Amino acid sequence: MEILLETVSLLLVGAGAFFFAVGTLGLVRLPDLFCRLHALTKADNLGLGLVIAGLLPWAADPFLALKLVLIWLLVMLSGATGSYLIAKRALRGDGEDLLE
Amino acid sequence: MSEIFTAAAVVLVLTMAAGLVRVVVGPTPADRMMGVQLIGTTGIAVLLLLGFAFEMPALADVALVFALLAAVSVTALTRRRVGQDRS
Amino acid sequence: MTIAWRLLGFCGLWLIFTGWNPGSWMIGVPSVLLATWAYGQLVGDSRAPSAARTLGFVLFFLRESVRAGVDVASRILRPRMRISPGFQTYRMRLADPSARVLFIDSISLLPGTLSADLVHREEIRVHALDATLDLAPELADLERRVGRLFGEELTKEKHGHV
Repeated sequence: MEILLETVSLLLVGAGAFFFAVGTLGLVRLPDLFCRLHALTKADNLGLGLVIAGLLPWAADPFLALKLVLIWLLVMLSGATGSYLIAKRALRGDGEDLLE
Repeated sequence: MSEIFTAAAVVLVLTMAAGLVRVVVGPTPADRMMGVQLIGTTGIAVLLLLGFAFEMPALADVALVFALLAAVSVTALTRRRVGQDRS
Repeated sequence: MTIAWRLLGFCGLWLIFTGWNPGSWMIGVPSVLLATWAYGQLVGDSRAPSAARTLGFVLFFLRESVRAGVDVASRILRPRMRISPGFQTYRMRLADPSARVLFIDSISLLPGTLSADLVHREEIRVHALDATLDLAPELADLERRVGRLFGEELTKEKHGHV
């Protein structure tokens, strides 16, 4: 039982790390701001979600487990809202970006 | 299990370093902000992994504060306008 | 009744933050009251989704999140990235304010799409990694699911391009 749980955890955390790595690669490789936002939001969401899923079975008490889920929800919410704000600002060109 | 969590944390720290490329290259402030955002989220994952590896549950609270500040910082950046705070 | 649910929700949130620690309620009670008041000010009178429908949407959302991650990873990892980015416009029909926010946020987290701007209160400019595909059917499906979550029935007609 223990070994099964460890394997599942290992796979989830590993997959999470993989998506973080891919997201970073995408952020560096992709050609423009909007495409990079795609890599950022999806890697953020899935990478952290998988790492947290891998950690959940090892949480000492239910409050800690719920706190982890809450962190994931917050990151997801701020990721989605932040990407909308950044994209909107870039589209309308009303930020200070234009001066560069 | 804690060795695995530590190893994953080390891998994630390496990707954070790679993410710095986008922060340095830019070209726009929004691009740099996105780099910082990804580094921030990866940092949250690292904190949680280390918290479990070394049995320091307080690190989860640090991660929670990181998550809250990330939302504020992006919003603050997008509220800046042309000509503001230039001196 | 909604006030009671909100109070209960924020009390639960405080429990998650501090654990089972009676002394913490010294700060907890004022915080919960303040949060409930502020929430009422910000949200207004938006309908709350039912528990069963929320579970259904969460499962759909998790499945699509994985699909989105795999999709974007498979595009990035090729030596020559398989992308042809561009914009499409989608006319949103949802009326409930919370439902609209959830829809716009969900677009960004689901495969290949990113909500970029809202024009005239109902036209969403969606950025796609592969703009050669027609996004409208998939977005309409998502919109129907979000609508159902908030008790808004959307007909199949009149979605799509502007």
